[in-house]
Amino acid sequence: MDDETDFDVIIIGAGFAGAATAFQLLKEGIEGDRILVVDRGEPIGSKNLTGGILWGRELDDFEEFLGNWEMDCPGIERCINHKKVGFLSNEDALFVEGRFASWDGTGGTDEPSQRSSWSVLRAKADAWMAEKMEEAGIFVMGGMKIDQLHIDGLDHSSYDARDLTDPAEDSGTGSAQKWKVDNLPKELVDKIRNGTIAGIVQDGDIMTSKAVVIAEGSNSVITRAYHFDSMLHAQSKDDMLLGVKEVIHLGKERIDERFNCFAGDDERPPSGMAMELALSLYRDMSHEAWEKYPNTKGLYPRCGGFFYTNRDTVSCGIIVQLKSLPEGLHTYDLYQAFKSQPAIAALIEGGEAIEYGGHLCPEYGLHRMPHRFTRDGAVVVGDAAGLVFANGMQIQGMNNALHSGKLAGKAIAACITNGDLSAKALDATYTKSLKASYIFRDLKRFEPATKFLNNPANFTWVPELVGKTANRVFREIGEEKVTAEKVLRQVRKEMRAENKANKKGMGLFGMLKLALMGRKL
Amino acid sequence: MSESIKLGLFTYDIKNGLGLIGYNVDEHEHAHIIVETSKCNDCSHMMCVWGCPAQCYNFRDQGLKEMKFQYEDCVECGTCYIMCDQGAVSWNHPRGGFGITYSQG
Repeated sequence: MDDETDFDVIIIGAGFAGAATAFQLLKEGIEGDRILVVDRGEPIGSKNLTGGILWGRELDDFEEFLGNWEMDCPGIERCINHKKVGFLSNEDALFVEGRFASWDGTGGTDEPSQRSSWSVLRAKADAWMAEKMEEAGIFVMGGMKIDQLHIDGLDHSSYDARDLTDPAEDSGTGSAQKWKVDNLPKELVDKIRNGTIAGIVQDGDIMTSKAVVIAEGSNSVITRAYHFDSMLHAQSKDDMLLGVKEVIHLGKERIDERFNCFAGDDERPPSGMAMELALSLYRDMSHEAWEKYPNTKGLYPRCGGFFYTNRDTVSCGIIVQLKSLPEGLHTYDLYQAFKSQPAIAALIEGGEAIEYGGHLCPEYGLHRMPHRFTRDGAVVVGDAAGLVFANGMQIQGMNNALHSGKLAGKAIAACITNGDLSAKALDATYTKSLKASYIFRDLKRFEPATKFLNNPANFTWVPELVGKTANRVFREIGEEKVTAEKVLRQVRKEMRAENKANKKGMGLFGMLKLALMGRKL
Repeated sequence: MSESIKLGLFTYDIKNGLGLIGYNVDEHEHAHIIVETSKCNDCSHMMCVWGCPAQCYNFRDQGLKEMKFQYEDCVECGTCYIMCDQGAVSWNHPRGGFGITYSQG
């Protein structure tokens, strides 16, 4: 291996995956000035968006660089100590709330390790993390979009990067779509897809490195262009979720009061609430849409709602499976319907929206997960590699991003020592450790749960049935009380009579099937 | 806006949401998304229109006869590229320093 490279490692993307890789490389003994982290955001973090909750204490491993990150990082907002899950229909809302004193350290067991989830705002968190990388001696450059990867022995001006991902002029439609890249000379394409990656190209300039780490996030243009396996998946709406959210300012005191949060002190961060919701808000909207656009008749949008408290603001949004989106419904209207639901509207009352945004999130599951995370001279980490745990209601990506970055850092450092950065060597270290890690074990373990939670019933009639039943069970109208089971049967009967769409799904057989699946959770 | 949102407490125009986002819009010749709108005429589903969270795509849903695309409001999520199966969308990130600038994220 030639030591004349500009850097040992170049990392594309200064998000959690990229930062974790960089810090881990430092820990493994790679010099800071041999690591370059580039990000297209200026300032760094300005392109990033999360729901979002960071799970786990992965950042503790970087204490030497980050210090007391829980208290000091501006984007690490509140430590979650109460968690709500719920069912939301147009009128009714039913929540199950857990409140855990040990989660925020106010319950006597004041071990920091008990705190394990935080609401996060990424624009702030990533900017802080970039500062810490610089303080540790790493080269960090914002406002830099990488045009191409530098392939050993290939003149980068011989092709245009856009040609690798663009549809062909005469593109065809549907599954018969044609791509520009297929019209490029075979020899060239072979080099682009299989050559050794040896650096990056930006504005015509080459910067070389022994290894390139692709940590570009969920909208993975480079990963697609350079034909890591995830490219094939990333182009499909079958595997993608779209998050739409607003950050709404309420003020710290109002949030402390409204959500019963611990205000925080010199040693402990303020506590907060995290809520994830199953929604049946979209039945009427869908039926209206089907009338105008009969192509997708029968399709209901599968959405989950989320609501998280930050220090002065709340993050309120939905996440929709793109494959379930029927024609006629705008994603931003789906968000508005969520925000307008009375139970949610009450939580944000008096607030002022200060930011709106949208972001993709991969949801491959175990079987559609890409199986190529490396190429000669490069690895993919975090969201770009599709390393997100999503089960229809809960989504964890940031801890996986940090963890995969660590594994990549360790692997690359070892491979640099051995002087072998081939895909084979990286697979034997990085891919192997990734597959043995909790990221893959979680995906496997929770596969039945994922299947259950993705059942269309959970996005259509289940939340409504639960809400209506609870409404009647809790209400006193001066009549003889009946058992909850009887109420449930009655509500089910009424819902079936009221709506044709409920006829099929809500049959006894359908309910039994759902219950059987639920048992495996 | 969809007529479906009659639920109540908010009357919303997506443009209000977009007004909250910071952008550093690049010149037209550097637009990061290029849509060959002639290909949209035969499209039967307009999934870009429904998917885009920033209403960058306006077409029959807004009573227009031709697809009208604007890159200026784009939040760079990539949904349109995934939804389009007509070969009309060419997608790349904006040049460094341009495009959306989240301050919260």
